[in-house]
Amino acid sequence: MLIAALNSVAQTKTITGTVTDQQNNALEGVSVGVVESGRVSQTDAKGKFSIQAEAGQTLKFSYVGANPYSLKLGANAVISVQLDLTNSLNDVVVTGYQKERKKDLTGAVAVVNVKDIKDIPLGNPVKALQGRVPGVLISADGSPNGGASVRIRGIGTLGNNDPLYVIDGIPTKRGLQELNQNDIESIQVLKDASSATIYGSRAANGVIIVTTKRAKAGYSRIDFDASASLQFYTSKIKTLNAEERGRAYWQAAVNDRSNPNVNQIYQYDWNNNFDNPVLNRVIIPEFIDGAKTMRSADTDWYDEISQQSLLQSYNVSIANGNEKGNSLFSLSYYDSKGIIKETRDKKLTGRINSDYTLLNGKLRIGENFSGTYMKDVLIPTGDVTGLSQIVFSVVPIYTVTGGWGGPAAGMADRQNPLRLIEDNKQNYNNFWRVFGNAYAELQIIPKLFLKTSYAIDYNGNYARTLRKSYTSGFLSDPSNAVNTNSNYDGNRIWQNTLSYAIKKDKHQADFLIGQEQISTIYQGFSGSRQGLALENLDYAYLDAGSTTKDNSGNGTANSLLSYFAKANYSYNDRYLLSATIRRDGSSRFGKENQFGYFPAFSAGWRISEEKFIKEAVPVVSDLKLRYGWGKNGNQEIANNATYTLYSAIYGTNAVGNYDGGTAYDISGANTGQLPSGFALIQQGNNSLKWEETAQHNVGLDFALFNNELSGSVDYFIKKTSDILINPAYLAVIGEGGSRFANGASMQNKGIEFLLSWSKQVGKDWNITLTGNASSYSNKVTVLPPEILTSYPGNGTDKNILGRPVTSIFGYVADGIFKTAEDVNNHAIQPGKGIGRIRYKDLNGDGTIDALDRDYIGNTAPKWIYGFNTSISYKNFDLSFFLQGVQGSDVNNGYKYLTDFSSLAPGANFGSRTLDAFTPQNSGSDIPSLTLVDRNNEGRTSTYFLESGSYLKLRNIQLGYNLQPVLKNLKVQRARVFVQASNVFTLKSKSYTATDPENPGNAYPIPLITTLGINVSF
Amino acid sequence: MKKTTQYILTAICLILVSCTNTLDEKPQGVVSSEDLNTPENAEKMVIAAYSALGNDYWATPYSNMWAYGSIRSGDAYKGGDGPGDVGDFNAYETFNLNRVDIGNADGTWFRLYLAIGRVNDALARVNNLTAAQLSTRLSRQAELRFLRGHFYFLLKILFKRVPYIDETIPKTEYDKISNVDLTDEQLWDKITADFRFAGDNLPVDQADKGRITKFAAKSYLAKALLYQAYVQDNQNNVTSINQAKLNEVVSLTDEVINSGKYSLSADYANNFLSRFENGPESVFAIQYSKDDGTPNGRTDNGHSLNYPMNVEYGCCGFHTPSQNLVNAFKTSSTGLPLFDSYNTINTAAGDDFKTNSFDPRLDHSVAIPGHPYKYKPTFIFQVSWTRAPQIYGRFMSLKETVLPDDPAFKKFPPFMSSAKNWDIIRYADVLLFKAEALIELGRFNDAVPIINSIRTRARNSTTLLKQADGSSTSNYKIETYQPGVNCTWTQAYAREALRYERRMEFAMEGYRFFDLVRWGIAADFLNAYFSIEKNRASHLRDAFFKKNRDEYLPIPLNQINFSKGLYKQNTGW
Repeated sequence: MLIAALNSVAQTKTITGTVTDQQNNALEGVSVGVVESGRVSQTDAKGKFSIQAEAGQTLKFSYVGANPYSLKLGANAVISVQLDLTNSLNDVVVTGYQKERKKDLTGAVAVVNVKDIKDIPLGNPVKALQGRVPGVLISADGSPNGGASVRIRGIGTLGNNDPLYVIDGIPTKRGLQELNQNDIESIQVLKDASSATIYGSRAANGVIIVTTKRAKAGYSRIDFDASASLQFYTSKIKTLNAEERGRAYWQAAVNDRSNPNVNQIYQYDWNNNFDNPVLNRVIIPEFIDGAKTMRSADTDWYDEISQQSLLQSYNVSIANGNEKGNSLFSLSYYDSKGIIKETRDKKLTGRINSDYTLLNGKLRIGENFSGTYMKDVLIPTGDVTGLSQIVFSVVPIYTVTGGWGGPAAGMADRQNPLRLIEDNKQNYNNFWRVFGNAYAELQIIPKLFLKTSYAIDYNGNYARTLRKSYTSGFLSDPSNAVNTNSNYDGNRIWQNTLSYAIKKDKHQADFLIGQEQISTIYQGFSGSRQGLALENLDYAYLDAGSTTKDNSGNGTANSLLSYFAKANYSYNDRYLLSATIRRDGSSRFGKENQFGYFPAFSAGWRISEEKFIKEAVPVVSDLKLRYGWGKNGNQEIANNATYTLYSAIYGTNAVGNYDGGTAYDISGANTGQLPSGFALIQQGNNSLKWEETAQHNVGLDFALFNNELSGSVDYFIKKTSDILINPAYLAVIGEGGSRFANGASMQNKGIEFLLSWSKQVGKDWNITLTGNASSYSNKVTVLPPEILTSYPGNGTDKNILGRPVTSIFGYVADGIFKTAEDVNNHAIQPGKGIGRIRYKDLNGDGTIDALDRDYIGNTAPKWIYGFNTSISYKNFDLSFFLQGVQGSDVNNGYKYLTDFSSLAPGANFGSRTLDAFTPQNSGSDIPSLTLVDRNNEGRTSTYFLESGSYLKLRNIQLGYNLQPVLKNLKVQRARVFVQASNVFTLKSKSYTATDPENPGNAYPIPLITTLGINVSF
Repeated sequence: MKKTTQYILTAICLILVSCTNTLDEKPQGVVSSEDLNTPENAEKMVIAAYSALGNDYWATPYSNMWAYGSIRSGDAYKGGDGPGDVGDFNAYETFNLNRVDIGNADGTWFRLYLAIGRVNDALARVNNLTAAQLSTRLSRQAELRFLRGHFYFLLKILFKRVPYIDETIPKTEYDKISNVDLTDEQLWDKITADFRFAGDNLPVDQADKGRITKFAAKSYLAKALLYQAYVQDNQNNVTSINQAKLNEVVSLTDEVINSGKYSLSADYANNFLSRFENGPESVFAIQYSKDDGTPNGRTDNGHSLNYPMNVEYGCCGFHTPSQNLVNAFKTSSTGLPLFDSYNTINTAAGDDFKTNSFDPRLDHSVAIPGHPYKYKPTFIFQVSWTRAPQIYGRFMSLKETVLPDDPAFKKFPPFMSSAKNWDIIRYADVLLFKAEALIELGRFNDAVPIINSIRTRARNSTTLLKQADGSSTSNYKIETYQPGVNCTWTQAYAREALRYERRMEFAMEGYRFFDLVRWGIAADFLNAYFSIEKNRASHLRDAFFKKNRDEYLPIPLNQINFSKGLYKQNTGW
């Protein structure tokens, strides 16, 4: 874009003018050259330039991040030029207590295009980033409250791998699900050490920086966004119906030559010939229990527990700004009913961001505050989905008298999943969080700023839950209880920084020093009582209970104290240097090791500014080589790890586990208050110190063809040492042997690609294609020998050293035995037989035993990738986004049930059992059904390993811009859109369950279809 | 302007150095070791050591040894949903699937050393106090050493060679102590030394029922010496029987018997009913409790898998009596055991229990379809209460459970348990230790009245074995041994009678396998058992006991690794 005004002129003279961006901001450092004469000049701080030229010659303006512009001189001696800076290189990026232009970056920083994700209603902005940032692996299930796990550049440590989040400058380890997605102005991901080191102490797992929106001067606007979605459960596992389950049992029994009628549910009409068995009919009894209360049913439990559900999302924000100050106020309401019945997350957020300018612009005082309230129904969804696979279809939901159906004789002791839903639907958790800071920034002298910020980040939970009594099949619990628990978790963060920028000729530098202090506190307690006269939440308070009382409470605290400094220098926009040092102290470490130093430096060379590129290869619009090195720290261990501690443990709530209590009924009274002692709970380690991650990163940013094609490549080596571990220990150490230590090392290497092509075609078409892919490999390099068995391996000659920490160790399943000859020719394998899994004799000693295990897989993907297409035509916009992972192994636990009748004999099976091997169906590779697993087929083996690769159409969206139609109504923006998330999945044939992204019993990931509107006034 | 700048810079400097003490965070809600050296707290540490007696749970049980002593002995199958349900126990049951890296054995080893750690911690504190500071000092030392003896005894019979650590060894030295530093004999001597000290220094009576007394210690010393008497070589073969140790067993058991502190309960059933706990027969029991201010009670979690699958209970059908055991309760027409022929015909269901005759202890030990469960005539055990009858048969275990309406019953779904005490040593055991010692000393005639006293009590224990109509649940016939009348009492016969009597008296109580190993007959007995039982219970089809290996569990691979190879693996593994 260009606007130029020309006056007539005759011969060589001084041409003067100004160069600005579209917002009329002066651009400094724009190079102005006369093509014919080779004269060059540069604009000053006010954007002004002067140069000798004559009419008819061509002036060329170039500026990093702008498309070069040429102008043929006419008669005018004074010209003004506007350069188009919409190129992303000029984006301002928040990189830690300060802002930088993207073109000045020397670290590996990914900038998320927030526009791409803002309308995707997943309840957590991070979930929408899945596949959009190279090197960032996001995994999440489909639960309404939107939790997600984020791994930046892979698993880098044996402990906590969560990144650090910095929201409006405030560091926090909580994710983004409590943030209103519409409030987000920008998201940056700092991946390498040189960029993240400024956040030193907790940046080893990467940093995600979020900046929320603020109003700008001269800006007044009301935004309203609303969307409604329907969610569908599309990944149900196929289980056996009542009749099929009977058939599978019959097959297993006759395979074993065991009378199939010796079982507690089914009877069979069959030919009683084990040599050539023929089943005429499965006889399902009228009732499955002796008391005749449970009439045989044909329940599809997955259907019963699930629903199509509605998700609604509303947002309104009001922004207003002028020279003296500005403010933004926003409110959002998110209400997601899950695809599992009664699950629901309601979220209300409010935000006020404002600032005021005082003392003639020298003092700025402002604040960012947000409050979140979330209410989640407490349905044990993992149990519910798991049970839907396990509970027999013949079990009715209700008894004939309206009570709960449940397991009958011969079935596993598992709950009716619908009962779990119904009996818990009254229970919900209340969560609140207040998050924000107040700050003041004073300009002491020009370019010297002192800033102080005090932030709070407090969150808490309150839940009062009612546990109901029940009878469900042979399971029952006549007792009921109310439990009330409450806790809060708080951080107070005080930051002070002093920054200065200086610029002279081609030199440009800025400096920052600062200090940060964080104190964290946690307090929690709970109480419960049994014996409620009414099983009604309105009644269920602690006072209302009449029997067994219990309570508990605990607290913990820690603090951090840090000093840091950073300097950036650039020469002529061509050579960039940056250095950082941070000194962090943590209360979690021993006195002599409390402080750690985390240095980093990086350098960049903008090759495209060099003559030999600029002139020789004009297709190159930008080319920058970056290198950075730095160290980060990690302190994710127990707060009191340096101390040796005893605790009074009266008794623990140990259901299905040991009770480590210290109370004993020494008097033999059987009841009442017991005497109690103390137990050692941990051994201190006063030499604990920071875990350190050192990382090299080399990267290349490029843009070609006037920035039409741009991209970057990054290669990194990340070494983590002194990893904080709490190793298993020699049993004779006894209780409280748990002791944190700095013990292990691991290394990640990886490469990341990003490529984007953007073009305007004709007047009406805009097309942008963006693709990214990344890969990394991990290996454990040091591990204390005595804890090798804590990781996959046999503890002796085969161990995790030199291998990815996500390795799977086990047997190699080598098909199934089809003939007696196969069986006889094979090594000694207890339990082998026709139709059974054959395990490979890896060590060739003629016996299948524990020595025949090896590394058989890796759950980490080899590649993760994403591909986004955005097309706009006139007022229409269309985007679709594909995301995938490639080369991961999944240990498919479902297979335990879908393929076997013997590993969980009291459970329902999957439909694959109907295709199991029999002499008549000898082509099958599913082991022969049996009642008794003598071959130990549940052992970890390649039989359960399947490809976890998938490609998903993660999102597709079509929008229409109504603004031109509504112009007269003073509408600044109006858009309607339809979109769908998780539309389809391509998975490997070898994956036998439904969704390789979600292989366990985690909340199923729904298909979401959405209709939405964005309006601004 | 310049001044302002100076002020501000000064302020910054102050801010930067103002926070020196912010990194001091005090641990919350905990105490330090030094706080626990007072006499009051030392007493509490003794309680913490006692509390370890029952701090196990079903996956790593040691309060009762059913998973190691019962399902490995031919008395019981693992039970549960199938072989994969707590699959490690299936590996124990079948022996040939056992491995060095099985987690449950490692867990049990770990939990036992944890218990020993509590004892050593408490003992070191008590030792450091004077009798003036702690009037109970000597008794507490003796109690603690008894507890340590008990935990090492369990480790010894499970793993044979284990590292021995007492309160005098600093923690920093623990990783220098190997499991083979002490010979088999020396390890027994350490264990018996603790019991001996306890027996010599404990009071005869204690105000607290749960505290260990002098004669409990002497009983356990007799037990340990009896085990030690059967001398094993490095391949676990029993090579000789130490007569001096046997004589000591006789004199110790005589002391206990003559103390008059114990007697056999009038009814055998009383030993397995909560309302009779701490009765005259209970020598050493774990005290359990409920409604005691803990979330689920300090209950018997070692047995929490062993209840039926009906609406009153609900889980988990483990520890099911074998067909062989049920057959073994059959008696001859003269009321004596059928030593050689008991296992030729199955007594399986219905009329079998009327047409044959039985030792009454059958219906105290085994839940049988159609028979009252736990002595309650209106609460008839059903096949439908079993979990996987097609695999693990139709019987269930009875001694460890309580009725759903028992005050000791405690449900914490999906599991359940009770506050009923569990006897580690019953007086019947003391009597049979003596009888066994006498027989092996060649004084087998002196053993007759002892064994007969046990059988007489069994014969008199049919009061509760009644159906609702008052009829006998099974057809009971049991007679005492009358040498020359119904038997010829030789040493060999006496030995067989004693061993059979122990099986009947302590069926399903968890020590049978260790008896077999002590006597040196585990391989012969179990492989004979498997050869027949595999046709009744198909999960045993490939089961095989490897002589000179399976007498002991392997030292857990984890522990060998943690010790960096200091620990040596057991023979055969």
